[in-house]
Formats: sequence, structure tokens, C-alpha cells
Amino acid sequence: MNTRYFGARVTRNEDPALLTGRGLFVDDVRLPGMVHGAVLRSPHAHARIRRVDARRARTAPGVLAVLTHADLGALGDPLPKLIPHPALTHQKTQCALAPDKVRYVGEPVAFVVAESRYAAEDACDLIEVDYEPLPVAATLEAAAADGAPRVHDDMDTNICAHYTQRVGDVDAAFANAAHRFRERFVVDRGASCPMETRGVVASWDARTRRLDIWDSTQAPIPIRNGLAELLGLAEQDVRVVAPDVGGGFGPKIMMFYPEEILVPFAAMRLGRAVKWIEDRREHLVATNQEREQIHDAEIAVDSDGRILGVRTIFLHDAGAYIPYGLIVPIVASTTLPGPYRIPNYHCEFRAVFTNKTMVSPYRGAGRPHGVFVMERLLDRVARELQVDRAKVRRRNFIQPDEFPYDVGLIYQDNAPLRYDSGNYPACFDRALELIEYAGWAARQATARAAGRLVGCGVACYVEGTGIGPYEGARITVEPSGRVFVATGVGTQGQGHLTTFAQVAADVLGVSPRDVTVRTGDTGLFGWGTGTFASRAATVAGNAVALAAQAVAEKARIVAASILEAPPEEIELSNGNAFVRGVPGRSVALGTLARAANPLRFAMPKEWEGPGLEAVRYFAPPQGAFSNGVHACVVEVDAETGGLTIERYVVVHDCGRVINPLILEGQIHGGVAQGLGGAFWEKLAYDDQAQPLSTTFMDYLLPTAAEMPPLVIAHLETPSPLNPLGVKGAGEAGVIPVAALVVQAVEDALAPLGIHITEAPLSPNRLRQLIVEARRRP
Amino acid sequence: MKLEGTNTLAAPIETVWKTINDPDALRRCTPGLKELKEIEPDRYEATLTVGIAAVKGTYKGTLTITDKRAPSHYKLVLEGSGGTGFMKGEGLVDLEPQGEATLLKWTGDMQIGGLIAGVGQRMLGGVG
Repeated sequence: MNTRYFGARVTRNEDPALLTGRGLFVDDVRLPGMVHGAVLRSPHAHARIRRVDARRARTAPGVLAVLTHADLGALGDPLPKLIPHPALTHQKTQCALAPDKVRYVGEPVAFVVAESRYAAEDACDLIEVDYEPLPVAATLEAAAADGAPRVHDDMDTNICAHYTQRVGDVDAAFANAAHRFRERFVVDRGASCPMETRGVVASWDARTRRLDIWDSTQAPIPIRNGLAELLGLAEQDVRVVAPDVGGGFGPKIMMFYPEEILVPFAAMRLGRAVKWIEDRREHLVATNQEREQIHDAEIAVDSDGRILGVRTIFLHDAGAYIPYGLIVPIVASTTLPGPYRIPNYHCEFRAVFTNKTMVSPYRGAGRPHGVFVMERLLDRVARELQVDRAKVRRRNFIQPDEFPYDVGLIYQDNAPLRYDSGNYPACFDRALELIEYAGWAARQATARAAGRLVGCGVACYVEGTGIGPYEGARITVEPSGRVFVATGVGTQGQGHLTTFAQVAADVLGVSPRDVTVRTGDTGLFGWGTGTFASRAATVAGNAVALAAQAVAEKARIVAASILEAPPEEIELSNGNAFVRGVPGRSVALGTLARAANPLRFAMPKEWEGPGLEAVRYFAPPQGAFSNGVHACVVEVDAETGGLTIERYVVVHDCGRVINPLILEGQIHGGVAQGLGGAFWEKLAYDDQAQPLSTTFMDYLLPTAAEMPPLVIAHLETPSPLNPLGVKGAGEAGVIPVAALVVQAVEDALAPLGIHITEAPLSPNRLRQLIVEARRRP
Repeated sequence: MKLEGTNTLAAPIETVWKTINDPDALRRCTPGLKELKEIEPDRYEATLTVGIAAVKGTYKGTLTITDKRAPSHYKLVLEGSGGTGFMKGEGLVDLEPQGEATLLKWTGDMQIGGLIAGVGQRMLGGVG
């Protein structure tokens, strides 16, 4: 394969439109006669609804409809269970509007449609809801306890799943180990906070009976399929477009959010286009969240710090419902072992309903929790055995000649957890070199002598990416010579319009600028699952490569008849087909496209069909496993609890790199979100599960000022599982950051003997830990 | 949100007791209490306007006085809801004679929810 563009720092095809304000986000969709929706949400974390009286709201100026559960008919039933699991014994899902009980602050109770958003929100205030407040299952531990207030009346507990996986003989390993260390780790909640919140526009044409929807979703095709079924329409008559999407990060792949039902339903009922755009407060209370888990973990090592066994028993906060199943706790359990050889492993979790916002994957999706537990355990081993942190890790790495490496668990894709490829020690060494770990002890001593609290951290992870089931692509060359790629995998900022173009461009011998990639429009490509689990480049990328190869094959066959040479002697380059070694004998790709679509006469049998067009699918047997190492140097201000990150290194291996520029962008964004989840961002709730951080005044996103400059290096160990040799990179930036920052902070505060077992920290919390440590005798 | 405080009033305990049982007096000395309409003895329909940070709202609800032990003790129960959320609270009021004056002590626990809790909380108690 010609690899001129694959691997090059090609600037992004999507940027000219985005940077000049010509993007199309859901809120940019303005249709004639369009009206606006607003959602009335529960102010209670747990309450019975005695009565909803919408009479005053219905007669308010500008109001066209007020929907309550009673108005929804069959659409008011509990929403689909997305990913069942045998261990998930109670897969509760919410209704589009709460029927008789609310289970978290923010749960939708009524939907108002009015001539303006202003009128719709005012009308929400006129709806009288008579609530009977109920006792609240507010914290994870309290909710899991016997006798806790029950989130769902028909269950006698809040525990909806209990699942255990084991490798080897853990009890024996612990019994015979030289050392055992036990810890309790707490990881708290955060929100994904994409720049663009969620939003839906729906338009119903009563004459053609077609429904058009614009939805800021990561999964337009499943949304279309599900809506068609719920609304009794043909899939072909429902078109869902995820246009430009300003960040997804996982929570935008839920199916369904209530508004995804309510907006189309209202549009069909009113015969008017309806728009609803989530505001930031709604995002912070009603869009799915993540990360709350409590791990009771234990590690057994020999006298050299070699791991003999690891055990974690943890609680996973599901929130009030669990439509997305057990993906997050399963990913946490299976990411925990990371790059280390762990002969005996026991992971066991209970998923627990609480009266809080639902939990579903958010960038990392369990991986940061698993890595936090593993890395913190190794730090404990290093400290107790007085062995250098780096040495402890190096002693336990899976070696490059051990691949494929079977961890012995079942992964989130229901396939065995088998690392396909990688070189963990090489990544680690490169990271240590870039952070100048060799001289660290001396530099730290100098800084400490000057009264500065500086610390260094280094943390490793393995990232499961590129899981199935499949994705597809259709590639068409038009007579203009332009190449069009359509795929079901939408883009939320990952640069698909460029990376997929690069893959197709190399095969077809054109420039990526000549390739238009269209994603996320079910009208253009109707097969696929969505953008999640760092899988687009791996799964859809390979489908694009296969489709491009099929088109190239066809182009050679058509060119052969025009250039009077055998197809195998035709090459594609610079937008032309030419006879190898005779560049003068050439024909433009566009000309071939026209020739391949004749108006008259017989079409050669070997063309199979008209035009230069092909559809191909790629279905990987299992996920491809990326890996990486982050390292950083921090300084803590003991008086304010402030943190300065002085140096930050990411060394990372996601197989063959399609576009280093885009990859670095992914890592920059991921590290920013990771730092937020390590030190600033925390969704606080009071003891009645009232969300307290519902604006950016209280929910602290890191800004450019907090971001350190990043030093990034790539290693390339190609995956043997797909023709391009690629692996995913979407979550690489975020996964080890909390583990890393906490380790570095602990290192900085070593003179005070502070031991940190929680994330996220915050300046407040860090200051509190420092004050407590200084008070200790 | 916990409330607690004391105040010494230059009046005999009987006068203070009478005053804190008088709806007009309660309305005048409670910030934001716009209306207090007796619906039965010791039970009132209340309209409150409370603003915390940028969130100002009107709450409609009930105020009930219970556990009366004249002239030294009662319990106030307040419940209200409005467009910006809900509030629910209980308070204990105790009077103690101090010579000619009266010591008024109060403790209370107020729970707020909805928009007002999310936006106003850091004005009330800070976000942990």
C-alpha cells in the first residue's frame, strides 16, 4: 500500500469550517415554524409524585403542549435496557417522564413546548407537582447497607448486580506471600462537560410521514432504529443526523435520554419542528455521570516486590437506573491488572442503586478506577519494601515476547481479555528518560532543601480499544474526481474527517483534501453502532481501508480497458490511473468514475456493478490493546493546597499512528480531563443527594492556565488484529492521570507522611490533608 | 443547613411568648415572609420570597407551630416549594427569663432542594 498520508501530520479537513463559524451543531438547526421545549425536573432526590397539575401551564401565553407521563401512552414505558448481563439481576431503566416516583434530582417530570424557550421555562414554573419526599439513598456505602431506603420499591435491596471474576488461586497466593497490603480507595463522581451540551431537533412531515432528527449523540444509528420501533415507523423513514458534535466523551451514547423521545413525540403531535437544547445546569444534574466506586483492595507480593496476587472487592455506584448495564465496573475490574503479570487475581463488585444521576461510561469508563487501585497498591509496595517505585513496576511487567497475553478474564466485549501486542518495558523506560527520573532523587533533595514541596509520579496503563461488533464504510468516486466516504461512526471532535480521508487517500492515490468524509447521518449510511470505546479508527478505519481497496480494484479494471493494459499493471497516483512505468499513459480517476457508469451499451460482467463504489465492513474478533505511561513533576503549595504541574510526559503506544497531530490533540484533551478528575472536578452532593456543583462556579474545570505543557512520545507496536495495525487512543490521555497526580502529590508531601487513597483531590482537600498531617504528633 | 443562635430581649418572658405567637409579629421579623394566613390555630399558609445568590424565588407553603409549652418552648415546622426548588425545616425555640429580660434561643435544621440548593449552596454552607 502507498503510505504517503498514513502517518503524516495532516491538518484537519474539518477545521476550516469550524474555525470560521460555519459548523452545524444541533443548535444551529433552525427550521420554519420551529418551537421550543423545556423540561421540568425533579427537585427531590427521592419522592413519590402524588399529583401533577399542568392546567395553569397549558393556558399560559405561547404554550403549545405540556406533556406528563399520562400523555405518553406506550412511550411512557421504561426505556430500553441497552446492555444486559447475566449478573445484572435488576436492570432498571427510567421512563421518559416519571410516572409515580422520582429517583434523582433532575429526573424529567414534564415537558413543555412553547413558541420560545423563555415561555416554555416560565410555563414549567406553573406546573404544580405534589411530591411526598421519601428517605434518600444518598451515598454509595449507605445505599449498599441493609435497611437502606430502597430506590426501587419492588427490590428488597439496592444491589442490582454482584459479579466476580477470578484468575488462579488467590487465597493460596495470599496465604503464602511474604507481604500483604490492604487499602481502601474511593473515587468520586465527575461530569463529562462537553463544550456542546446535549440537544435534539425533530421535524415531522405528515405528508411523506418522514421524521428528521438532529441529535448531539454518539450513536445516531441505534437512536434511529430504536425510535422507529417505538414510534411504529419504518427505519428508512426516520433519519437521525449527528451533525458537528462538540464533544461526546461517552455520556452522549446513552439510548435513550428522555428528550430523545419527547422532542420527536412532541414534533409529531404538534406538526411543528421542536428544538430542545440542554443548558449547563441540566447537563450537570441530568446527563449521565461516572467514576464513583469504593474499592477494598489487597496485594500480595514476595520479598522482592513481585506480585503474587491482587484482590479487589468494590462497590459501584450505578445511580438511580442502570440502562447501560455493567460496562463501567467490568472495565474497571479488567483494566486493573494493566501491564503487570498478576498470576492470581480476584475482582468482585456490587453495583448499587443510589438516588443520584445515572452512571454510564465517561472517557475512561472504569479504566481510571482500575488503574488508580493498581498503581496505588504498587506505590504502597514500594514504600513498605523501600524499593524504588520504578523498580517495583519493572519487576512485574509482562514482557514483549509474551504476546498474545491472556489475562484470564472476560472483557467488556464478552471476549477473553487477551492483549494482542505491546512493549511495556520500552514505553516505561522512555517515560522515565523524558521525565529525567534518574536524577530525580537529587533534584528533589535540592528542592526540599530550598523549602519546596516537589514530587514526581509515574503510572502505567493498558487500554482496551477497538472492540466490535463491526463498522462499515461506503466509498464513492464521483466524476469530479472527488472521493466520498460515508460511515456510521459519528465524530465528536476526533478528526474522523481527516484520518479516514488519509486512509482512503493512500489507497486511491489522491490527496486527503480530495476526500470528503461524511459521518453520523443515517440517511447516508445506516449500519453501525456508534463512537465509543476508542474504536472508530480501528473498526471504521479498517472498513474504510477495505472499501477503498475494493474501489481501487474496480478503478484498475475500468482503467485497464481504457489504457489497454492488464489491471495488475495499473497504478493509482495523484488522482490518476496510469500504466506502471509509463506515466504518460494515464486517465483521471473522475473520468474512470464516469466511464464506470455508462448510459448505453452492455456493461462488462467483471465490473459487478456501476460506478466506482464499494461498501465494506470490518468486524474485529476482539479488542486491540493500547498502552502507555504518564509521568509528571508537581509542586504543592502547602499554604493554599495549590498544585503546579511543572512537567508532564506521555509515552504511548496505539499501534500504527494514522495522524500524529490528531493523536496529540486526543492526548492533550484527555490529560486535561484527567487532571480535572484528579484535582479539580468533583460533583458534590449533600446528605440528601442534592447536587451542589451545578454551575461552573462550583464545578471546577481546568482551564488553559492549569494545563502544563505536554511532552509526548509514541511507540508503535502494530496490532496483528487488523490490516492497518492500529489501536485506539481516545481514552489514553485520561486513564492514569488521577493515579499519577496523587502519587506525585504524595511524593511531594512525603516529609509530612501523607498517604492519599482518594480522587479527585482539590485544593481544599489537599490543604485539609496537610493541616491534619501537621497536627499529628 | 443548621441554624443556631441566641438573643436577649428587653422584655419579660410573657411578652416575648405572646409576640412569637402573633402572626403579624412573626411576619414582621422573618426576612422574606410576605404573607401569613391562619388556616387553623397554630397552622398558617405562608408566602416567602427568598433569594440566594442569583436565585430568587417565591415559595408557598405552610408554617405550623407544635409542641407548645407556654411560656417557654415551641417547635416551628416550615414547608414550602416554588419554581426554584423546595425548602423544609424545623426549629426549636426556647425562652428563659433573665431578670427583667428574656433569653431567646433557637436551633433549626433546614433542608433545601432543587435549583436553589445547587446554585445557592455555597452562599449557605460551601461546597465540599
